[in-house]
Amino acid sequence: MKTASRILGRAFFAEGFEVQDAPRYGAERRGAPIFAYVRAAREAINERGIITTPDLVVVADDTLPAIPAAGTLAGVDDRTVLLIISREPADTWRSRLNLSCSVVVIREDVESPVSEEMPFKGAVCAGGAAHLVGVIPRPTLAQAIERELDSMPAAMIEANLEHGLAAFDQLADHAGAVQQGVGVSADNPRPPQWVDLPLQPAGAAAPVIQAAATSVEVHTGLWRSVRPVIDDERCVGCWWVCSTFCPDGAIEVRDGRPHIDYEHCKGCMVCVAKCPPHAIDTIPEHAAQQADREDHHRDA
Amino acid sequence: MKESMYKRMKDLPSAHLLGTGTPMCAGCGGLEALHEIYDVLGSRTVFVNAAGCMTLLATYPFTPFRGSWLYTAMASAPAGAQGIRDALDILLQRRSITKEEDLDVVVLTGDGAAYGMGLSATSGAIERGLDFLYICYDNEGYGNTGQQYSGATPHGARTATSRGPSGFAGFKKDLFSIWAAHKPTYVATVIGAEPLDLARKVEKAKQLDGPRLIIALAPCPTGWDYEPRHTADIGKLAVQTGIWPLKEYVDGTVTHTRMPRPRRPVAEYLKMQGRFAHLFLDQRGKHMLAEIQARIDRYWDTVEA
Repeated sequence: MKTASRILGRAFFAEGFEVQDAPRYGAERRGAPIFAYVRAAREAINERGIITTPDLVVVADDTLPAIPAAGTLAGVDDRTVLLIISREPADTWRSRLNLSCSVVVIREDVESPVSEEMPFKGAVCAGGAAHLVGVIPRPTLAQAIERELDSMPAAMIEANLEHGLAAFDQLADHAGAVQQGVGVSADNPRPPQWVDLPLQPAGAAAPVIQAAATSVEVHTGLWRSVRPVIDDERCVGCWWVCSTFCPDGAIEVRDGRPHIDYEHCKGCMVCVAKCPPHAIDTIPEHAAQQADREDHHRDA
Repeated sequence: MKESMYKRMKDLPSAHLLGTGTPMCAGCGGLEALHEIYDVLGSRTVFVNAAGCMTLLATYPFTPFRGSWLYTAMASAPAGAQGIRDALDILLQRRSITKEEDLDVVVLTGDGAAYGMGLSATSGAIERGLDFLYICYDNEGYGNTGQQYSGATPHGARTATSRGPSGFAGFKKDLFSIWAAHKPTYVATVIGAEPLDLARKVEKAKQLDGPRLIIALAPCPTGWDYEPRHTADIGKLAVQTGIWPLKEYVDGTVTHTRMPRPRRPVAEYLKMQGRFAHLFLDQRGKHMLAEIQARIDRYWDTVEA
């Protein structure tokens, strides 16, 4: 997302806008949500920091809206445009997220080279966003991608250009969909949202965790892009291999057989690499979820 | 000392104590080691955690531990452990808790704290004969902030702060020897990819009193630049190539618990990691590879002599 924001910021700047673009770092971990903010205006920008009322929200990973901590929908109102890279259509997202704002989807399809492959997501997000804001011409976008990725090998720049411009072209019908918001006035500041904390005894007020292993409430299985599946026929029941090597301890042993805890498996695939009889298959997560849904429908 | 209960892989614990759902990266070699260590140590432990990747293990209201956890500044974990040990001793003395209710105090830090900022506090704790266990997950750099080099970074590795054509110019500090030179009760190196060796060492450390220190090499997909699935394979290669000697120090004697024979060429270990990719490009890299190999060979020549 940092790359996407930098490309978009560069493109705005090249068009003569005042620009701020800033990534927001939290825990820098693979799989942890990352945010970046871009502000652009014809006049000087006096606001700083986090954007609380976005005109456009770009979601690179469609598993994020389901994670409250990711906060992808924070500050979204009726005039916000939500752009999401997904296999699902816009209507599905509007009803799933109960949104009344406009939702635009960049879809992966056979006709165009737009893909969900990670290396190109930055360019794809920037390309889509550039068309939605309506003030960035195609050549400016191309130049911004080239300049931003300057240190990369030529083939990588070429591939990013192809993906970014394809995303730009795919959103031709939505050109200019994003309306410029009104800046916050210094004369009329919004009051802070105070939260009154009543005085409580230390036992209740201190951030003390009273139960064991509460981390299981965090479903890190949502991080997974590929799913390891144990083939019971080939599994020889040497549970101590996969269950010990699994960094997360997400393989339980019941009745001497390993069972993967999909609520917490992050999809690192160490188990697949270590399984002596190669009894663990690798399945793309979206295909596995599709199969789960079909099974569910059949059972219902 | 009792005979080890961990004779074969089959003897390893099948129930895992460390909670799932932690925010460590997928394929984290440090977490792999920690969950194996925790299974052996058990839940009657207090963890004292210095700033580092594993700071985020216990983030209110979530914790993967079954006991208490204290977070300290980067250089101060052994000092925090002293405070907890003292408090437990006072409770024991006053008979507020029984001997059975006593807890093991475990310091958990990364290499940034262990090899660098926290070294002085550790030295002091060993000097005072503090009864504690120190676990260092060593991913050879400041991984939590984007893999800047640390005192544990190996020669030639590319880091966020060693981007030149030869990578990191310094050499990995020999923390095992630095710790052992203090003559504590126990020092050992382990790795999550060798769980049986790890379990035996943690079991031994648990039975002893006084300062007991363990360094776990922690293959790091994010900082070392490799696919997360290779964490255990890279860990195995670290041992088989001899770049990570598995050893322990007890009563003034260092014993190697694995003798990699024959040793595999270190290039096999290095070429799996993006941080060493530049060593495989040109003549300069070739020279550096030969240097790295020669240093490993010299080490084992001394051990085997």
